[in-house]
Amino acid sequence: MEVIILANQFKLLAAALATAGLLAACGGGGGADTTPKAKVTSVKVMGDSLSDSGTFGFKFTVQGSAPTGAGSTMIWPERIADQYSQSLCAHYRAGDENLTSYQEVASCTNYAVGGGRVNPLGAPATSPLSVLVQIQAASKAGFSADDLVIIDGGANDAADVIGALIAAAKGNSQPLNAMVAWLDSKAPGTSAALMTQAGGDASKFAGLAAGAYLQTLAKALAGSIAQNVVAKGATRVAVLNVPAITKTPRFQMVLASIAQAAGGGDQGAAVAAKQEASFDALVQAFNAQLAASLAGQSQVAVVDFYTEFKNQISNPAQYDFDNVKDPVCPVTGVDGSGLPTYTFPTCTAAALSATPGKTSPDWWQHHVFADSFHPTPYGHQQMSQLVSRALAQKGWL
Amino acid sequence: MKKFLRIAAGAAALTACGLAGAQSAGTWSARIGATHLSPDVSSGNLSAPSFPNTKVDAKSDTQLTGGLTYMVTDNFALDVPLGLPFKNDLVGDGALAGVGKLGSTKVLAATVFAQYRFNAANAAFRPYVGLGVTYAWFFDEKTTATLNGLSGGTQANPTTAKLDNKFGITPQIGFVYNLNDRWFIDAAYYKSFLKSTIHLSTGQSIKVKFNPDVFAIGIGYRF
Repeated sequence: MEVIILANQFKLLAAALATAGLLAACGGGGGADTTPKAKVTSVKVMGDSLSDSGTFGFKFTVQGSAPTGAGSTMIWPERIADQYSQSLCAHYRAGDENLTSYQEVASCTNYAVGGGRVNPLGAPATSPLSVLVQIQAASKAGFSADDLVIIDGGANDAADVIGALIAAAKGNSQPLNAMVAWLDSKAPGTSAALMTQAGGDASKFAGLAAGAYLQTLAKALAGSIAQNVVAKGATRVAVLNVPAITKTPRFQMVLASIAQAAGGGDQGAAVAAKQEASFDALVQAFNAQLAASLAGQSQVAVVDFYTEFKNQISNPAQYDFDNVKDPVCPVTGVDGSGLPTYTFPTCTAAALSATPGKTSPDWWQHHVFADSFHPTPYGHQQMSQLVSRALAQKGWL
Repeated sequence: MKKFLRIAAGAAALTACGLAGAQSAGTWSARIGATHLSPDVSSGNLSAPSFPNTKVDAKSDTQLTGGLTYMVTDNFALDVPLGLPFKNDLVGDGALAGVGKLGSTKVLAATVFAQYRFNAANAAFRPYVGLGVTYAWFFDEKTTATLNGLSGGTQANPTTAKLDNKFGITPQIGFVYNLNDRWFIDAAYYKSFLKSTIHLSTGQSIKVKFNPDVFAIGIGYRF
C-alpha cells in the first residue's frame, strides 16, 4: 500500500517537473525586439553630401525607385534614424548646388547639404553650405535631451586643401592663398610664422599652411559642437571624422596623373605614393585635432570613419565589397581639371541593373563607390553599421 | 511552482514511514533546487560581411531546477536533471566589445548522467562522479535594436537569429549528503562541452563554444 502511494507521489513529482520544463519551452517564438536602449524622439543631422537627404531633390548615391522620400535609397543617417523609428527629410531645399536661393522646411531635421564644408570659402557667411551655419540653424530650432545629433564634415575641406596644394605645385597658388588669407584673418601673423617655420621654402610652407588650415577647421567644428549643440542640451552627439579620401577614385585618378607627370613607371609611382602619404597626413591632422578638441565630453561619440573606410578598401571581402575602385554610375562629363563627372539624378538602381553586358543585374550592388567620391547604397549601409557600433558602445542603441 | 511545493510538502509528510532508506539498488529519488549556468565562451569570428574580429559572449543565468535519480546498483546511478529553461543573453565581444546585448536565447539542456557513487549505500556522505550526454535545445531567440543596427537591419526587416541544437558531453562531480533516511542534499558541478552555430537572417554565422560551467544544488527525497 505504502509502495503504491509513494509511486504515485513520485509520478506526480516527475510530471510536475517535466511539465514545468515543457511549458516554459513553449513560450514565445523568437524574433526581434527592436526597441533601442535609449529613448530618441528626434534625429538631427548636419553635414555634407554623405548625409544629405535630398536638398537638391536627389541623394548623393545611386537613386532608388524615388529620388527622395518613400522608395528612395536609405543613406546612412536615415538608416540610423530608422532604428529609432524616425525618418529624415532635407531641411534646406534648393534648385542649384551653390544655394544662391533656398527654402527651409522647419519640420525636416536633416540640415546636411551636398557640398557642405566647415569653411566654404567664397560662399556668403550665412550659406547653409557651411556645416557651422547648419549647426547654428539646428541650435536655434533647439536641442533636447531626447535628440540624437549626427554630424559629419571636413571631407570637402580636406579635398579643397589637397586640390589647392596640387594647383600650387602646378603654379596656381590662388586657392592656397585664399586659405592662408583666411588663416591670417582668424589669427593675424599666422602665415608669417609658418613661413619662418618653413625657412622660406615655398613648398614646405604650402604643406604647413594646409595642415594649419585643416586643424583650425577641426577646432572650429568641435568648438561649434560644444557651444551650439552640447551646451544647448543635446546629450547624444555622434561626430564622424573624415574618411581617407585619398582612397577615393577621384584622388586615385589625381595621383595617377601625378605619377604620369613624374615620368610614370616606378619613379612616377614613388612620387605619387609620397604625395598620397602627405595628403593622407593632412586628413589625419584634421581628424587628430577633431578628436582632441571633442575629447572629454561624455555627450559626444567620435566615429572613426577614417580607419573603417581604409579597412574596407584594404580588406573588401570582409565587408562583402567586390570592387573598391570603379564607380558604378556612368561618366557623364569632364570637369575643369579633366576629371570625369557623374549625374546622380539619372544614376538609378533600375538603370544600373539594366546596364547591357553585365552578368547579373546586381553587378553594382557591392561596389564601394557610386561616383568617384561617394559610396553606393551598400557603402551607406556599412557606414550606418559603423555608426551603430559607436552608438551602442555609448549605450544609445 | 505551487504544485512542486505541494508535492514536496506531501513528500515531507511521508518521511515518518520507515522504508529502507539508503541509496541502494532500485531506489528512486527526486530533488528540487537551483542551477547556475555560466557559459565559458570561446567565440569564432562572425563570417563576412562583418567588422574584422566580430565575436560574441554569453551571460550566465540561474533557474529553478530539480532532478530524478535511479540507483541501478548500490553504486551506479542514472540521473536526469530537470527544470526551467535557461535564458542567456548574448553580448558583443572582440570588435563589438562594449556594444552590450545583441540578443538572447533560451536553452533547454536535456542531460542523462551515468554516475558512480562512492561509499556504502547507507553512508551519510557519498561523493560521486558522472558522465552525461546533453542535448541542448535552443529556442525563443530574440535579437535587439543593437544587432539590427550592427547588421544593417531595419525596422521593416529586422535581423533575427537562430542557434543550432547540439549534443554535448558533460562530465560531472558532486556529492550527496544524507540528512536522514529520506532527505538529502545533492550538490554538483559539471561542464558541458557544447558548441553551436548562431545564424543571422542577414546571412552571416558564427561558431561559438559555450562550454558552460554548471553549479547545481538541491534538496531531495528518496522514495
